[in-house]
Amino acid sequence: MNDEFEFYAVDPAQEPSEQAEIKAFLAKNGLSYEDGIEVFVVGRQGRRLIACGGLEQNIVKCVATDPLFRGESLSLTIVNEVIHLAYERGHSHLFLYTRPNNIAFFAGCGFYPIVEVPGMVSVMENTPIGIRRYCDGLKKLRQPGARIGSCVINANPFTRGHLYLIEQAAAASDWLHLFVVAEDASFFPYRDRYQLIKAGVAGIERLTLHPGSEYMVSRATFSSYFFKEKNVVGDCFTAVDLLIFREWIAPALGITHRFVGTEPFCPTTNKYNRDMKYWLQADLSAAAPVNVVEIERTAQDARAISASEVRRLLRTGDFDRIAKLVPPTTYELLSSKYRMRADGASAGAAA
Amino acid sequence: MTTSTKLRRSMLFLPGSNAAMLSTAFVFKPDSIMFDLEDAVSLREKDSARLLVFHALKLRNYRDMETVVRINPLSTPFGLLDLEAAVRAGVDVVRLPKTDTAEDVHALEREVERIERECGRDVGSTKLMAAIESASGVINAVAIATASPRLIGIALAGFDYVMDMQTERGDGTELFYARCAVLHAARYAKIDAFDVVFSDVNDDEGFLKEVELIKRLGFNGKSLINPRQIEQLHNAFAPTQEEVDYSRRVVAAAELGERQGLGVVSLNGKMIDAPVIQHARVVLQRAQASGVRR
Amino acid sequence: MKIVKEAIAGTLESSDVLVKVAPSDGTLEVVVTSEVEHQFGAQIRAVVDETLIRLGISEGIVLVEDKGALDCTLRARVQTAVLRGGAVKTLDWSAL
Repeated sequence: MNDEFEFYAVDPAQEPSEQAEIKAFLAKNGLSYEDGIEVFVVGRQGRRLIACGGLEQNIVKCVATDPLFRGESLSLTIVNEVIHLAYERGHSHLFLYTRPNNIAFFAGCGFYPIVEVPGMVSVMENTPIGIRRYCDGLKKLRQPGARIGSCVINANPFTRGHLYLIEQAAAASDWLHLFVVAEDASFFPYRDRYQLIKAGVAGIERLTLHPGSEYMVSRATFSSYFFKEKNVVGDCFTAVDLLIFREWIAPALGITHRFVGTEPFCPTTNKYNRDMKYWLQADLSAAAPVNVVEIERTAQDARAISASEVRRLLRTGDFDRIAKLVPPTTYELLSSKYRMRADGASAGAAA
Repeated sequence: MTTSTKLRRSMLFLPGSNAAMLSTAFVFKPDSIMFDLEDAVSLREKDSARLLVFHALKLRNYRDMETVVRINPLSTPFGLLDLEAAVRAGVDVVRLPKTDTAEDVHALEREVERIERECGRDVGSTKLMAAIESASGVINAVAIATASPRLIGIALAGFDYVMDMQTERGDGTELFYARCAVLHAARYAKIDAFDVVFSDVNDDEGFLKEVELIKRLGFNGKSLINPRQIEQLHNAFAPTQEEVDYSRRVVAAAELGERQGLGVVSLNGKMIDAPVIQHARVVLQRAQASGVRR
Repeated sequence: MKIVKEAIAGTLESSDVLVKVAPSDGTLEVVVTSEVEHQFGAQIRAVVDETLIRLGISEGIVLVEDKGALDCTLRARVQTAVLRGGAVKTLDWSAL
């Protein structure tokens, strides 16, 4: 009976000895400890650690039970406790990443698959009507046409380079769907980025601006350990993110093309673009491929315009140069709200 | 004060928050089944457990078993709501934890009566049980046991009591005085006395030893946390064949005396008075419930 | 009674049910998932609907993960989730 087990929450940052014990326990169970985890539920039988489950914001991570107890309801209990704890912390929509062979177990815990990177990792959420409902909402925004384009931008901040990309994409499509990455890990908070984009594209016709959603995967909370030492094309995060786009979002809107800018200064983005071609176009999914179109960035003073350049200039307060790189709408916000910000701390990836 | 004719040898504790256990409770056959909303239920689950128990009670699945709900103390945010749920759902007995004074019983009584009136339940139909869990409770045991006609019994709760006494559970020495005090109060008030939970579910020998002791002291029954203990307890309380035979003769003599209109009952030339006859009836009742001791 | 915030009640243990409620835009959506969908799906649905009606819930999102719960358990967990997610905390016992 579960009366002999005790479950409690622990903050690994505050309890180093507990953290060490959890690390060892996870290692024994073939899992790696993830530093981003904010809280663990720990299960003990007497003094013995027999189960644990972690939370990083709304992502469930590092769920493990002692093999001796598997088959009892212990695994269900630990997941149950993690779910309840998440609710207490204000997170009701939960995601998790797990090896595909664990899908059945987590299905029994009320999680539903979103995508699977074949043989590597499965992403799940704790509602049967999560991504389905999101896509039902998207379907209402479908537009007619043979070439339905898409762009996904972070725009940290929105520059002339972004504007150019979008203008080119719109010109090459019967309709363009523009998505904004919702994650607030960028220097400019989501609200400001969204407003700048909205103002910046106001003049472009046949364009729909979509606010970000939880289904544009967050790099910050993604579990990278699934792919360590494995020969997977591209970043695991990239794979998941792009498969969600290909298998859910693109079909809902009838998207046929995805436009990206080339990024000479940023190796990460270059790699991402290469991986994008793989995951969106290769014959690895039942979902129709999405054609990736790369558009060369505009140049200003023989240098490509990039958001990271703008942020750099912001740090030095060089507003004259900034004015050449951003549309007037962006310039206005930068000079009014961000003029005194000299710390330049920027956590997000470029563009 | 009631003269107990109901067997209450075994009271099985069930955590009110455990849906699976509540669903299967009717399979076990204790004399009383106690749904715990207090110590077995975490703070987070108090509201949830209350409704689980409310609905489980309303099912009326428990045949001859007496239903008991252990509510949280009325001084907590939970106690009164627990009481509402229990009374409205038709529980037989409400068990009040941490009963320290007669006033605790009176306060409970007032609320129970109010709820009975509000929900249309026969006033007085909800019985009460007091749980002694502290030195104060032991000292006030007599006042508590006589505090209300609704009281059917008084229980000693070992875990909290020994903490209050600044000691720990051991071989029973630490409970000696409390057990006697509670027993005497129960006998004086003519209600049942219940002994503490034996928590080591793997120690059969220890359990039976304790049962033997408390039965010898005169306890009517004991609180249990493991269904396995039910049969063991019933067997320990079961009379031997000799006791059954003797009791049959006593009861027969009493009935004969009654038929003949004699004022005095005798057996084998000796006078037998009321307590002896009453005890004989209890023996036969126990034998009927679970046979003769194996 | 209205569901004004997200709430959860119950567990994933066998014979229990996990109920999640959330506010909605005016519609009532009830989704039931059960291991015994085929035999008992309709009955579970009926019990949940009835419980919601008695509580006066006409809008919200109610997700029910059944693990083999009896009707009485279903009722209790749905009621608890609704009460936890509701604005009003006082119980009307006749609605339960």
